[in-house]
Amino acid sequence: MTANASSSGLAQRIADLVKVDAPWEVVGERSSRFEVHLNGTSVELERGPITVEGYGLRIFRPHGEGLGTGFQASTNLHAEGVRAAADDAEAAARYAEFPARSVSLPSAGRPGAEVPVVDPKLWADPATAVRSFVEALLAPFRGRKGVVPTFGSVKATLSDLSIANSEGLHVAFPSTSVEVELGVKAFGGAEGAPPGEFWVNQLVRKLDAERVAPAVDDWCRYAEDVRHAVNPPNGDQAVVLPPEVLAGILPPVLGYRFTGAARLRKVAPSDGTTVAASSVTVRDEGDFAWGPGSGPYDDEGTPQGKRTLIDRGVVGPLLYDALYGSAFSTKSTGNGVRTTVGPTADLRFAHRPAPGATTLVVAPGEGGTLEELAESAAEGILVTQLGWANPDPISGTFGGEIRIGYRIHRGKLAEPVRGGTVGGVVLTAPGAPSLLASTEAIGSRPELADRLSSPPMLVRPLSVAGA
Amino acid sequence: MTTIADREGELAQALRRLERGAKFAELLAEGGTGQEVRLDTKSTTLTPSPRLRGVVFRVWTGTRWAEQATSELEKPQIDATVSRLEAELGRASGTAPVPGKSANTKGSWATSPKRSLRELGSEQTIALAKDVRGWATAVPGIIEVQIRFAWEESERLYLNTAGARCHQKVERTHVSIAPIAMEHGRAMYDYWHYGGVGGLEQVPALSEPTIREVAEASRSMLQAKAPPTGETDVLLDPGVTGTFAHESFGHGTEADQFVRDRSYLKPILGQVVGPEFLSIYDDGTVPGGWGSIFCDDEGHRGHKTPLIERGKFVGALHDRETAAVLGAKATANTRRSNFMSRAFVRMTNTYVQPGDRSFDELVQDVKRGVILEHWTSGIEDPLGGQMQLKVKKGHLIENGKVTDLVGSMALSGKVLDFLKGIRGVERAKGIMIEPGFCGKGHSDYLPVGSGGVHLLSRAIVGPA
Repeated sequence: MTANASSSGLAQRIADLVKVDAPWEVVGERSSRFEVHLNGTSVELERGPITVEGYGLRIFRPHGEGLGTGFQASTNLHAEGVRAAADDAEAAARYAEFPARSVSLPSAGRPGAEVPVVDPKLWADPATAVRSFVEALLAPFRGRKGVVPTFGSVKATLSDLSIANSEGLHVAFPSTSVEVELGVKAFGGAEGAPPGEFWVNQLVRKLDAERVAPAVDDWCRYAEDVRHAVNPPNGDQAVVLPPEVLAGILPPVLGYRFTGAARLRKVAPSDGTTVAASSVTVRDEGDFAWGPGSGPYDDEGTPQGKRTLIDRGVVGPLLYDALYGSAFSTKSTGNGVRTTVGPTADLRFAHRPAPGATTLVVAPGEGGTLEELAESAAEGILVTQLGWANPDPISGTFGGEIRIGYRIHRGKLAEPVRGGTVGGVVLTAPGAPSLLASTEAIGSRPELADRLSSPPMLVRPLSVAGA
Repeated sequence: MTTIADREGELAQALRRLERGAKFAELLAEGGTGQEVRLDTKSTTLTPSPRLRGVVFRVWTGTRWAEQATSELEKPQIDATVSRLEAELGRASGTAPVPGKSANTKGSWATSPKRSLRELGSEQTIALAKDVRGWATAVPGIIEVQIRFAWEESERLYLNTAGARCHQKVERTHVSIAPIAMEHGRAMYDYWHYGGVGGLEQVPALSEPTIREVAEASRSMLQAKAPPTGETDVLLDPGVTGTFAHESFGHGTEADQFVRDRSYLKPILGQVVGPEFLSIYDDGTVPGGWGSIFCDDEGHRGHKTPLIERGKFVGALHDRETAAVLGAKATANTRRSNFMSRAFVRMTNTYVQPGDRSFDELVQDVKRGVILEHWTSGIEDPLGGQMQLKVKKGHLIENGKVTDLVGSMALSGKVLDFLKGIRGVERAKGIMIEPGFCGKGHSDYLPVGSGGVHLLSRAIVGPA
């Protein structure tokens, strides 16, 4: 299925019921979720379809010197429900204040990006597709000794998003997304070592059974290595970070600091300043194929595209949605993003948009493979998985416990390490040490991990707390 | 607006339909209302809670549970949802009995806040937030402040074919303030946050001196030294102790992980794991506790469960199924994030009970160490038994004295070693339950409380 092939007209249907003499926007969403939950290699629970149909309504009213923005979301699709939501939004707009004279909402006629974000097999028959994927996920474990899955689930969501606004815009587009979670446990053996676990957590656009088997080999190896791992050496050292770890570090910080929202709060980096090593180039690519943040349009209906945030270490232009763009007299860059955290993360319609990154792309370097980066590091560690880097977008700090990694000794990957912490600052004042400023080499082979496409990176130094 | 209870007739009828083909069926219908005010130096945002509601049905097919959910509470959509489940029941061939004992609790409960933010109204809430903004930004070096006042009332109706009917309305209030200081392009902040079941009575009085103190703490973060790196004595502040109780220990006591053979704690139930002065509880009945509930989402009344008593690991948290498998009783810890999420064994309010030593005595016991203050997050490792706790800041302890301020850091260690290494727990008349949100795995977030007192042990720490 290609973009714009959706037949959903929910936003327009709601818009027809809204009578507002001010700029407005409706986002409608019809989603169905199918889930399989696992206990070991057994299916513990099948759920679905879990169907949710709702809309979010945003109204913009002049308020003092600025703009009052009111927003309400609802699953009541009847006329009285729409009226109630509109009343809520109007009431909220009366109290709200934002430093823009008006808002420049996207208008009709601009084609969306051509980007694949719908898994056709999943869309056509979600229950069968999810069951088949689960079978492919579990098959490599059958016959293996000493390794089993424990806790796991595959959750597939089919979303049909539509957007209409007072500028005559009406766009609709489908997407699919899948969350895969799996605890892989290694146990047994003659040595009496305690069991070890590698905890997989992935967000993807499509079910790709062919990639599962080789991945399971890696997961099993990590789980086994956990059992024999020791604390890393203590102190500042070279650290190699693979894409899966970087995906938990870079997007939360760069996805806020390089936006109009950060600029308004005076915490955005200044255009033209050097904040990273000259090898570092980072783009926001809303049209990156199969990126979980990719799509033909952003969540306000502006076509998504490419923006270079850091060009060879130097800060480029920032990301804006319609509202923050208006505050700085600039257009939306197609980065109006509705939140994906919290209890209603799956429901985009339930959240007002804010400027944010879509799919971040770190440009490949000349560092080669992970093994070649280790060779360049000579001494240090490779961090395969952190507990939770949990970066702070404002201060830029990040860090967490090493759940599994490997010591790098004489340029080779050596014994597994676990426990202790690795941390630092992603981005700070120009001239000060940070992950981006201390990047010594970037690998040559990028991989898509969650909302980031990146090769592994060698950073020297990062702070490692160990034995 | 019609409430969930107004839909009870149609929902009960749907359950009766399912009863014809299933040995057991239940439903949870959910709705809510609320409002959030956010304010900074540039904008004011008022957001009403989404008008979301829906229902999830769960049936026992004879081999396993099956679920369907819908956001539409009109009869045609409920009927369609039930029909899909009936079809699934028709295809099922298993005859296994329903696991565990079905609750048959009946009741209706609602919180009654003494000072509800709802009654304070939008205008006065914004006025209060503007006062806070003025107090914070009056402190030199504060360039921004993020203020949030929020209340939310969750309405849940649970019905099952064993006769249970639990209708509860739980109102929660949360206030947070984060003044941001900036110098030479570096931004840092400290924070102040409180919340609980009820109204503003769960939040300490907001005054100019209090807010100035928070703002000055933010500014001082710019001068904070780097935290120590490596193994050292660690004195956790009450919030960090609570996060330890929840993340590091509590998750391992969720008995669904026992059933999966995914808990490092399973083999040592009944053994001594810590000193005599250590006790940890999960309690869904703490008055005002952020994670308190009247009933869980299987119809069990809220409950206090000892996890560690006087150093001995005595109990785990159960739903009906784990209780049946492991020969225990359900502990009122079955919770759904919302009608779209499945039920899991979850915590409510998890805390370390006060001990017998003063804060000064604990500090004097440390030659070299660090106090970990103002938790920001933690993450569990149910099988491996490792622990990660993160904090905003801390203070060094040198030769029994509190000295320099240090920046944000992470703590790492083995939970069982950490428990064995506990050298003291602070005495106190009571504990404060701090508000937080917790996921099961990497999703299904719901409100949980955690709390405690200062606690002294040993672990690895490093900048983070």
